[in-house]
Amino acid sequence: MQRTVIPALLLLGVAPLAAGRQPAPRILGLRLGMSYVQARSRLSEIGQFKSEDEGQQVWILSHDQRYQYAIVGFDHGRRVRYITVLARPDGKQVSYSDVGDLANATRSGGPGNLRYTWKAHDEIGGFEYLVIAKGKNHRYLDRYAVKRLGVENEREDRD
Amino acid sequence: MSSHTASNVARAKRLSLQSGIILALAGFCFATLVFAATPSSSTLNPVNGSSATWAGSGIAGATTDETTCVDGTDCDVYTITLTRSPANYKGLVLAISISHQVSLNDYDLYVHKGGLTGPVIASSTNGIPETSEAVVIDPTVSGTGLYTVHVVDSNVAPGDPYSGVAAITTPPADSPAHGTAPTYANYQSPPGLGDSSGEPSIGANFNSGRIMTQAVFDTLQITFNTNTSPATATWLLKDGPNTSITTLDPILFTDSHTGRTIVSQLFGTTSLSAFTDNDGETYTVSQGGGIASGVDHETVGGGPFRLCTADQLLVTPVPCAQSAVRGPLTQYPHAVYYASQDIGDAEMALSQDGGLTYEEAHPMYTLVDCGGLHGHIKVSSSGIVYVPNKSCGSTQGLIVSMDNGLTFAVQPVTGSTPNSSDPSVGIGSKGRVYFGYVAGDGHPHITVSDDQGRSWHNDLDVGVPFSIRNTVFPEVVAGDNDRASFFFLGTSSAGAGTGADTGPAPFDGVWHGYIATTYNGGRTWFTVDATPSDPVQLGVICTQGTTCPNGTRNLLDFNDITVDKVGRVFTAYTDGCITAACIAKGNNPTASHTRLDNDQATKATITRQSTGLGLFKTQDGTRLQP
Repeated sequence: MQRTVIPALLLLGVAPLAAGRQPAPRILGLRLGMSYVQARSRLSEIGQFKSEDEGQQVWILSHDQRYQYAIVGFDHGRRVRYITVLARPDGKQVSYSDVGDLANATRSGGPGNLRYTWKAHDEIGGFEYLVIAKGKNHRYLDRYAVKRLGVENEREDRD
Repeated sequence: MSSHTASNVARAKRLSLQSGIILALAGFCFATLVFAATPSSSTLNPVNGSSATWAGSGIAGATTDETTCVDGTDCDVYTITLTRSPANYKGLVLAISISHQVSLNDYDLYVHKGGLTGPVIASSTNGIPETSEAVVIDPTVSGTGLYTVHVVDSNVAPGDPYSGVAAITTPPADSPAHGTAPTYANYQSPPGLGDSSGEPSIGANFNSGRIMTQAVFDTLQITFNTNTSPATATWLLKDGPNTSITTLDPILFTDSHTGRTIVSQLFGTTSLSAFTDNDGETYTVSQGGGIASGVDHETVGGGPFRLCTADQLLVTPVPCAQSAVRGPLTQYPHAVYYASQDIGDAEMALSQDGGLTYEEAHPMYTLVDCGGLHGHIKVSSSGIVYVPNKSCGSTQGLIVSMDNGLTFAVQPVTGSTPNSSDPSVGIGSKGRVYFGYVAGDGHPHITVSDDQGRSWHNDLDVGVPFSIRNTVFPEVVAGDNDRASFFFLGTSSAGAGTGADTGPAPFDGVWHGYIATTYNGGRTWFTVDATPSDPVQLGVICTQGTTCPNGTRNLLDFNDITVDKVGRVFTAYTDGCITAACIAKGNNPTASHTRLDNDQATKATITRQSTGLGLFKTQDGTRLQP
């Protein structure tokens, strides 16, 4: 029982807390700014490591009904810079409004290529971040990401 | 750059007129005639001399490549079934040829294993003048069963039907590359220009004859004076208004046919960008990139839109109308694409107004499919968009869009292995894809696809003549379908030549620029040391991004290659070894050649083909002069 309730509670981070509020800087219990060790620990609970590329890790989500993959990028300090989750093609659909209040989002793109973007400030971490939900469908998202602003990738290819 | 030839432009202009005529004829005849080869099929046995002949349907027409032909209108089909097992064909081959009478007509021959949706395992796509096409297939490799011969009217006037022959015969003798290898000369930028010149791009403006190159913050215009031989070069600084400031990841793209050059520097989540139609004399500042495109390793490319031919419009009007929505919105005739990657996926945005504005970017792939960083965009003459990737699972990969950047497929490059250098593609005038890459063992390879990356053949290590064991920065350009050049930096020294140089002794190696060229569709290559007496780098060339220690990544991430209107090949590279002392050490086989001996310079240099055949057959009559 406990094994199912705790992940379910953690998944609440996906949903907006209340209309009008900005979406949180976390997905599936993974939080922007989280340390590498903490992130690995959480990822190991919810999925299986698949691959790593340029300081970004792909994890297969074992039991999530909505998301199939999580991609996590780290900054130079090995803290979570971004989290992206990819919707499970045959899974439970997630609407854009599940992420946040659409009235507070910038909508871009059009039919077949829709994107909602929220810009927010994290009081706890003291940083700004973006929340981006994208999809082909006008109602349901294909992918959803939170990204900390002002930090570079762990292996950013800066020239 | 888009890799279609000058002759293709003329052909494209003729296409609408010819297609209009053909359309009228087709409209008159379509309801009553069935166009097919006669007979339409044969069965061959594993016996030397087993053969069949057929007659083409006699349909005339014009296409850009196999993907734009309409069966029964401007292409037809003949099927061959090989009996028994592949082992029965040991010592035998399947030879297929077609012939016709008028040398100014251009038929192309494709052979699919299985039906028309099966892989293209052989093709013959010579341009005019020609009166035949031929392929040889080894059934012990390709298997037995069904083969589909697809004969396509590349540009065929009425009244010249082809005839076909398929025969089981003995293999022809191997034919190594014959003829004369090209030669090259190097031109270093003058003092004060191009002194900080990592990861250069290069483009050729067919209209003006000038070369444009950009590296880090300098955009340079190069004009060659061919009244003297060897030609002399005049270099001029032609910076864009917003691309010479401190930003990241420079890129330049010249659409050779329109003459438009786009310069770009990465800036936050988009790019600073501008374009010029007069080789940098004046610029127009543009939106920069696709809205909300990624932040790393952007690339800009372009070429024809993928639009229906008149024949396709007749047969499939609805999808043609849908594709037309993503066609040009202004007088500028070509598509421009911007691609980049961030937060786990790579995206591409289309510009329908010549790079002035871009649409919302569309996802190309995610890190689930391939590594985030990718190579540079190339667009075929029929508007197919290609982006190479160095790591898509267990192979390198090619991302392909057949609908002007709306949707994408990731094609594995079978036979390849991942590496740390971005691969490169060149697209022949009739759509042949040349994929140049560094294999997992560090050797320079190039492989060929005739079906938009769905299958690959003729994967060759072109570094063998120089015993190349470490390679970086593969760059490819193609001209005619059968001609391409592949530029890379290589060294014969084994070991960790592209690492961080943290071993007990620094890596010892001398790097040169090599150019491999094919004139027969990738079956054989001439490989030439284009910098034989002037090494490009001593010691390592680290390809591990910003984790590379100081003094190992002065060349940054890539070089570039292009071709001018007459088929002459040019490369742009960063020279890390420019002083007399460094060069002397590089030329002394007993001296030390480590990073400690290198200049760590970043000097803009270009290579210009001096002699030999160029990449356009129509220009062969005028020999290149140094």
